[in-house]
Formats: sequence, C-alpha cells, structure tokens
Amino acid sequence: MVSEFVMPPAFILLAGAVLLPMVPRALRSAACLIFPLAALAVVWTLPTGVQLSVEFMRYQLILSDVDALSRIFGVIFALIAFAGGIYAYHIKELGQQVAALLYAGSALGVAFAGDWLTLFIFWELMALGSTYLVWARRTSASQKAGMRYLLVHLFGGGLLLSGILLSISETGSTAIAGTLAQTSLSSWLILGGVALNAAVPPLHAWLADAYPKATVTGAVFLSAFTTKSAVYVLVRVFPGWEILIALGVIMALYGVVFAVLANDIREILAYHIISQVGYMVAGVGIGTELALNGTTAHAFSHILYKALLFMGAGVVLETTGRSKLTELGGLVKQMPVTLWLYMVGAFSISGFPLFNGFISKSVIVSAAGEAHIEWAVLLLTLASVGTFLSIGLKLPYFTWYGEDCGVRPTQPPAMMHVGMAIVASLCFLFGVMPSLLYRYLPYAMSYEPYTIPHLVEMTQIPIFTFVAFWMYRGKLTVKPTITLDTDWVYRRPAWFARTVVIGKTAGFFQVTEDVAKAAVAWVSGLFTAPPPAVVKLVSDAPEGDGGTRGVRRPNMERVITLVLACFVVVALLSYFSGG
Amino acid sequence: MKRWHWWTLGVLAAVSLAAEFVVPHDPSHWWTVVPAFYMIFGFLGCLLFIFFSKALGKLFLQQSEDYYGE
Repeated sequence: MVSEFVMPPAFILLAGAVLLPMVPRALRSAACLIFPLAALAVVWTLPTGVQLSVEFMRYQLILSDVDALSRIFGVIFALIAFAGGIYAYHIKELGQQVAALLYAGSALGVAFAGDWLTLFIFWELMALGSTYLVWARRTSASQKAGMRYLLVHLFGGGLLLSGILLSISETGSTAIAGTLAQTSLSSWLILGGVALNAAVPPLHAWLADAYPKATVTGAVFLSAFTTKSAVYVLVRVFPGWEILIALGVIMALYGVVFAVLANDIREILAYHIISQVGYMVAGVGIGTELALNGTTAHAFSHILYKALLFMGAGVVLETTGRSKLTELGGLVKQMPVTLWLYMVGAFSISGFPLFNGFISKSVIVSAAGEAHIEWAVLLLTLASVGTFLSIGLKLPYFTWYGEDCGVRPTQPPAMMHVGMAIVASLCFLFGVMPSLLYRYLPYAMSYEPYTIPHLVEMTQIPIFTFVAFWMYRGKLTVKPTITLDTDWVYRRPAWFARTVVIGKTAGFFQVTEDVAKAAVAWVSGLFTAPPPAVVKLVSDAPEGDGGTRGVRRPNMERVITLVLACFVVVALLSYFSGG
Repeated sequence: MKRWHWWTLGVLAAVSLAAEFVVPHDPSHWWTVVPAFYMIFGFLGCLLFIFFSKALGKLFLQQSEDYYGE
C-alpha cells in the first residue's frame, strides 16, 4: 500500500540503470550525470519523515524514511555519483555504467531504508554492482579478486540477514529504530555484517584485495559507497557501543602500518580507507552528539577526498598503464595538473588547515577529548601522522618525483581532470567554510575548528613528519612484493588446496600409474617370447644382433620340423620295440 | 627541496612554537602544556611508522608477488 507517492532517490538511479541500455550510446555518459543530479535534487527537497512504504507479505517495507542523518549521507552519495560520472565520462562500456548506477542507487537505498528488510535488499544489490566494477577490469587478477570480494560480501550479507531474522523473531518488528541492545545475539550478528562492510579488522582484507584491481573509474565509486553506507548504519543503530572505540582506533593505525608497506598506489589508498573509516567507527563508539556529528562530517569529507585520491591514482594508471611504485617515478613534468589535484586530496586526508579533512577529523578527536578518552585522542592523532606519511609524502614522492621510470604518459581524457577539479574545489570549499557542512549534521553543535591550538597542532605535525620522512625516505623505498593480510586465511588454503591437495594428489596417481605400467611392461616382456635357449636354438639371427626379445620370432618351420621329427622317432621306436 | 622551502618550513615551525606561548593552553590534556609537543610527536611518530612497518614486513608480512600462486 502506498501511503504517499514520492519517488525514493534510490529508485531514480536504479531506474537509470534499467533504462540506460535503451539510451543511445552517444548519450549514455550524459545520462550517467543526469540521473545522479536528479537523485541529488530529490534528496535535497524530500520532506522529513516516512515518505513511501509498501506492504510485502505481512511486513511493511519502508523504502524512504528521511531525517537529517539519512539526508546528509544521501546528498554525498548522489554528489559523488555525479562527480564520478564526470570522471568516467569517457567510459563507453555499458556494463560499467549500469553497475555504477546500480551501486550508487543501492547505497542511496540503504541510506533511506526505514526497515531492515529493505536495507538488506539494497545491501546485497550494492555487493552485485560493486563486484562488477572489479570484474570489469578483465584481468586474471581482477576476476579472482572479484570472486573473493563477492564471496566475502555474501558471507557478510549472511551475517546481517541472520541478525535481522533473529531480531524480527525476537521483537516482531522490522523497523530500524534506535540503538540496538548489546545483550542480544541478533545485534552482534548485525554488527558482524556491518563491520565487514565497514572493513573492520579482521574482516577488512577484501578491501585492500579488490579495490586496487578494479577498473580505473570503478575504484572511484568503490571508495565511496560500501564502507560509508556501513558507517551510516553504525551511526544509526550502534552509537555508544564502546567496543567500537577500540576497534576504530585499531583500524586507524592498522591501515597506516600496511600502507607504509604497500607497493601499488591504489592499495596504499585502499589501506587508508580502512584507516579513515577507523576514525568514524571510533566516533560511533564514543557515541556523544559531537562524536556522531564528527563521524557524519568525516564520512562526508572522506568520500570527497578519497574519491579525488583514487581519481589521481586512476589517471596515473590510465596514462602509464602502471600502478606500482616500483615501476613509477619522475612523472612530475608530464603530469603536473594531476599531481596538484591529487595533492589537494592528500592535504585534505592529512587534515591540513583549509582542507575538508581538517574540519571533520578534528570533530571526532575533540569528541574523544571531551569524553576524556585520552589514549584514543593520542592514537588517532598518531594515525594522522601516518596518513600524511603515506598519502601526502610516500605516494607522491615515489610516483611523481624520485627516480625517473622512463615512461612517457599519454594524455588523459579531459573530463578526468574536470571531475578531479570539481571534487578538489569541494574539498577546499568545505575546508574554508565548514558551516556549509556543519549546519546539515544530525545534531546542532557549535564547533570551531579554526582555533590557535588546533592550527599549531596541524602545523607542527606535518612539518616534522616531513622532516623525518626526508631524512629517512630511503628506508621507504618499496620492493616488488605483496603484503600478507588476513585474506591469507582464505587465499593460502586455496593455494594449499590447489598445489597440495589437487596438484600433489594428481602427481601421486601419475607416479603410481607410471610404476604400474612399467611393471606390466616388464612382466609381459618376460612372456612375449620363448626362453633365450629355445630362441637360440631355433633362430636365424646371430647372437647379439640387437633384436629385442619381444620382436625376435623363432623360425616356425624348424620348430615344426623338430616336433614332427620327434613324432617320427617315437613312432619308429614303438614299431621296433613292439615288433 | 630548495633552500627557500626549508626556510618557509622553519618560519612556520617557529611561528607555531611562538603561538604556543602567546595563546593560553587548553589544559584538558597533560600534553598540551608540553612545549613543541606536536613537533616531537610528528617526528617520532613518523619514524615509528617507518621502522615498525618495515620490521613487520621483514619479519613475515612481505612475500614475493607469486606467493599465492595466481
């Protein structure tokens, strides 16, 4: 039953995904901009409250439930779908375009879902759309990583669905209403499913595995939706779960440590998604209004600067065909525009004043301070040192400076730079005018990021991080290696199964077969010819003429003559003796 | 890095240090009253990540690219 007909924003993008194949090929890229823009307009203008619910079996599916929290997430999801559409304007592959719209639409569906069943449906649609963006790279590595990505997300979806079904059986309600109880198993199952999508260790390895292997433009969409829609659900139903503070801080540091080791530029960025989402998860754990505002604001900022960083890395990959630091270097003269647009993202993620990371990350850290969780304040600040080290220094230094790799990049499609410029402008805009964002956060707050102590902090940390980097940059030289992560648990057994269980077993049977054949040949060889003495007697062949026993045949006439002669002798003897 | 780059960073660091003594400290945490705390924090933090990560990598995390045999 439709209570009041309003087009939910998710349906605009999903309709776009369905209609796109019918749009003439030349207009599809433009359509990929129009649908997100229309969705953005609807998100912006939707009145607060339940807008659309339908009855399904005996449950009420609430397809669109708008409040300040869902709206701000909806705005940034639609906005980045638009910016990503500009960046991917040159892509003419229908599959990727449809997948991107499906993925973005499903993320909007999660943000506006008013009940668990609706949320779950969109949750799984997200997994499908995003998997295709990995597969569409069409390399052997991306095929395998995409399959692992899909399986891991189906497992996460299974956890989520189990929790949802258990919750429905406990409460009889499908509504997403308020903080979940920590005493209920269903809450922990739901947390497991959501934590997997938020890339909380040890359930995070899918991210650093799959994102670097996705298509150039697909990775931009991937960086925006999956983890941040999970953060949205955390803010919605898990605020104040204290375990999330520790998990968030671990994430923030974990991503940083692994990014220092990573060789692939998009893998470095992927690990820093984990690190940045760590701040948001910690904010949810703190659970105060300031912390939840901080988490929301940081998700908003993060989607912008992380998309920008992936766009920059994507241009490098698109124009050089390379993405490993060991194969890059000395590109600054060929691609200065890409470098500087990338650096806007790097300054943002590092929390430099005037950029949007400064005005959102600090809200979470301040909230931890106000809640007197000093260890979290110090460790989150420490993580920001590592962020600047990897994203602001290591990656650009070894990509654009350092030893010249000798590659001469091609010219990227102009729209890639346009997309980057738009997102970079937004990073700067929200950095200098934080109230543009603050006023739309879920809770009213009076927070001033531009204080002298905060500016002192964010001046001293980067300068001395840089000094230490410059002194020890030789230590950061990467090698062509991979870094083991928790995906070892399912990737190494796969290798074990392939090489030991299948390979070695097949080898064993092969050896057994060979031995059996050889034995049969030897035994049959013994019986394919008469004993050598007989052969010698009846054969014409001189000794040692090289003929093999199996091949050399005795002279049959002589044998028959010999046998007949024996008969004659026996007959004569019997005749004369019997006489 | 050109000489003026270092000068700029030096001046910025000096200004930030001076600001610590001009503006009253936020007394909510013990470290906010330690002069140049964030300079030391940034420097040592960076070294910590470089050496800790590399040590972990050497210990067991870094493997050859065909480790998974794919």
